[in-house]
Amino acid sequence: MSADDFFDRTEFIQYFRDETEELLQSIDSDLLRLEAFVDHDQIDADIIASLFRALHTVKGSAGMLDFKEVAAVAHKLENVFDLLRKDRMPLSEQCINLLFEGRDLLTGLVHVAVGDGGDPGGIDDYITRLDAFALIYESTAAVIDGGERTREDAEAHAEVDAFEAEVARLLAQQSGGSGNVDLDEAQAAMDALLGAASAAAFITPPAHDDVAEAPVETAPAAPIASTSSVVPSTNGTNAVKSADAEAPKRAVGGKNQTIRVDIDRLDSLLNLVGELVINRTRISDIASTLGRSIGSNGSAGDGVASLAKDLAESAALLARTTNEIQESIMKVRMVPIGQVFDRFPRMVRDLAKARGKEIKLEIAGAETDLDKTIVDEVGEPLMHLVRNCIDHGIESSDARELRGKPRAGTIKLNAFHEGNQVIIEVTDDGAGIDLVRVRERGIKQGLISESDKLTDREIIELIFTAGFSTAEAITDVSGRGVGMDVVKKNILRLKGVFDVDSVLGSGTKFTMKLPLTLAIIQALLVRVANELYSIPLDSVIESQRIDATDVRTVHGGEVITLRGQVVPLIRVGEFFQLANARDPDKVMIVIVGLQGRQVGLVVDSFQGEQEIVIKPLSDVIGRIAGISGATILGNGSISLIIDVHSLVAGAYQHGRNARAEFSGV
Amino acid sequence: MAMVDDKKQLSGQTMQVVSFALGSEEYGVDIAQVQEINRMVSITHVPRAPHFMEGVINLRGQLIPIIDLRTRFGMPRAEHSKATRIVVTEVGTKRVGMVVDSVSEVLRIPIENIEDAPDMISGVDTEYIRGVGKISDRLIIMLDLGRVISLSEKSALDATMDSPEMVGT
Repeated sequence: MSADDFFDRTEFIQYFRDETEELLQSIDSDLLRLEAFVDHDQIDADIIASLFRALHTVKGSAGMLDFKEVAAVAHKLENVFDLLRKDRMPLSEQCINLLFEGRDLLTGLVHVAVGDGGDPGGIDDYITRLDAFALIYESTAAVIDGGERTREDAEAHAEVDAFEAEVARLLAQQSGGSGNVDLDEAQAAMDALLGAASAAAFITPPAHDDVAEAPVETAPAAPIASTSSVVPSTNGTNAVKSADAEAPKRAVGGKNQTIRVDIDRLDSLLNLVGELVINRTRISDIASTLGRSIGSNGSAGDGVASLAKDLAESAALLARTTNEIQESIMKVRMVPIGQVFDRFPRMVRDLAKARGKEIKLEIAGAETDLDKTIVDEVGEPLMHLVRNCIDHGIESSDARELRGKPRAGTIKLNAFHEGNQVIIEVTDDGAGIDLVRVRERGIKQGLISESDKLTDREIIELIFTAGFSTAEAITDVSGRGVGMDVVKKNILRLKGVFDVDSVLGSGTKFTMKLPLTLAIIQALLVRVANELYSIPLDSVIESQRIDATDVRTVHGGEVITLRGQVVPLIRVGEFFQLANARDPDKVMIVIVGLQGRQVGLVVDSFQGEQEIVIKPLSDVIGRIAGISGATILGNGSISLIIDVHSLVAGAYQHGRNARAEFSGV
Repeated sequence: MAMVDDKKQLSGQTMQVVSFALGSEEYGVDIAQVQEINRMVSITHVPRAPHFMEGVINLRGQLIPIIDLRTRFGMPRAEHSKATRIVVTEVGTKRVGMVVDSVSEVLRIPIENIEDAPDMISGVDTEYIRGVGKISDRLIIMLDLGRVISLSEKSALDATMDSPEMVGT
């Protein structure tokens, strides 16, 4: 294989992965919608059609790339939808569960195919079970479609009834064995059954192989349908053909005016725009300096003066265009949070079932846009929060009834913009956080001591400590004490903050506030020992110039009292081990806040606000406590960005013991 | 950079080396790893960074970390002079600048003239050395950049991204 061939294939695979991921997501949501029709006479035909199309596309693309197993499973599922579509199969609970399972298996297989994951296993097992399930209906369908019933047909029909009973027994046996199925035994039972089907010359090839060898359009329908002699018509083949005809129509009809772009390309574009922003600032600086110097000595010739004026105008124009480019790029990177929310209906359904709880999920604000990088990162913390709601928040239906609540609990996911931030809320109407119990568990697990006086907020924060769990027993959902600390870590990494409101008995609301983007921020520039540092403005509460005599010492640490609140001070120069002289009279303080905690950063002077482009420090330097990155200023010099999170956390860690004394003062 | 324009010879016969001075020794790095050579610019100090890390510079919009090679090799620091240069190197995906006393020239050293490093050379730990090149009566100490820029000073584990080329010698 030449290098070119290889490249093309990787590109196709990349495309396949993106496309299939979307399709699987749509299959998932369609299945959830379909679930509402379980045991109804009428099924919404549009849902089935949409599922059919999605599966067909997956099958087609997989076949093209020679992903045999994906194509085989997609093909099998397609058959089931064909039966549903023709109303030849009732939509039972068992059916929908098999379909969900098939969708998951398909996802696993797609991951394997594109090299993203290990073998999910169980493919043969699943296909066998699905076949066994679908077989009854397929043959019944064939009989019905076969037109006039001859005596033989009727006989066959009777066989089929017997068959159905036996298969049902088999299935019950299998589901009872919770997945650990003896394949051979099942296969043997099947063979025996098939052999018993009187004159019917059943051939049962290993089903998936058959499909795999002819993965695309030409697939000769379900092997059983086509090889069964009981079946006069080859219905399945027609179904596949008609679906083929539908596929191109969809491709042409769907006017989706979007293109896929590699996120790396957008990142590099964003970097370049960052450079542009820096140079724009620089040119503006030069223009205004030039204008001032001409204005002040007045001796420059008219030519130079008008040139300076032109430069200033061009600079202003450039600034405007640059800003627009920057905004456009940021917009391109914005994706709706619905991409993340979409995963939850399925997860809530499955987990609620597993826990034997009734839970409704309400989603609002799915169209809220935020930066791609943040959307990618926010999924995990959200998942932990929702799991937590299901496991610890929502009570059992009976308990809810006792408390006079509706039997079904509700979890709400909501997202909306607020200024420069995105707010995401996860609300449940469950039991709420029992502060007394959390405190007890905290003491029991050695996280706090009996004598610690904690505010409500601090008690709630215990939940977000690694290793903390209120669950008495470890379940597969939660109780291991991992999860909520991940939530906290991820949110802080995204430079976000979170808040918990909980009312015992009536529910809990987690709120996270995230920045719209991570790349460009407003910052306050400060000077410390002749270096310029940037402090992200979103964490700055105020800046103050106070008398040195107002600084007091508690337990070896410097503090000030600000509106009755004791605020610890960090001398940035000393923290960074820079040589800087202390002003004996005045202290410049930037009050920064995080999660309700405040710290005063002592600096030499304030240098104004500026929009900065964040650049990571090279990993050659490694992680530096207190520094989160750097930026290049308009004049080309570098300013390091102060990591407020680590400074505040450090100050409170250090001051924890001293705090008891603060409150005593 | 005129010196890079020299006919670049990729045959196994000779190795092109950018040579520079540090104290009284001459050092060399493979020209393929040198991106450019700059005059001294102002370096932004990064607090709490490893001691040999001089800081970062702005190289056309990119942040480049700067290592002071003297400090890295435990030599006394020297005042920066007109001859002081920053050699910007590329090791793997990492870009690092190194402050050196002066840059001399680009040399071609026959591969057979490069020998394994003796145990100790003038105070520089052999950990950072790929070999010693001889050209007429000069000795050029060839640096193993992967190790020079590696944070863990004695770690041989993660630092040898450019060593395998030397296996053939």
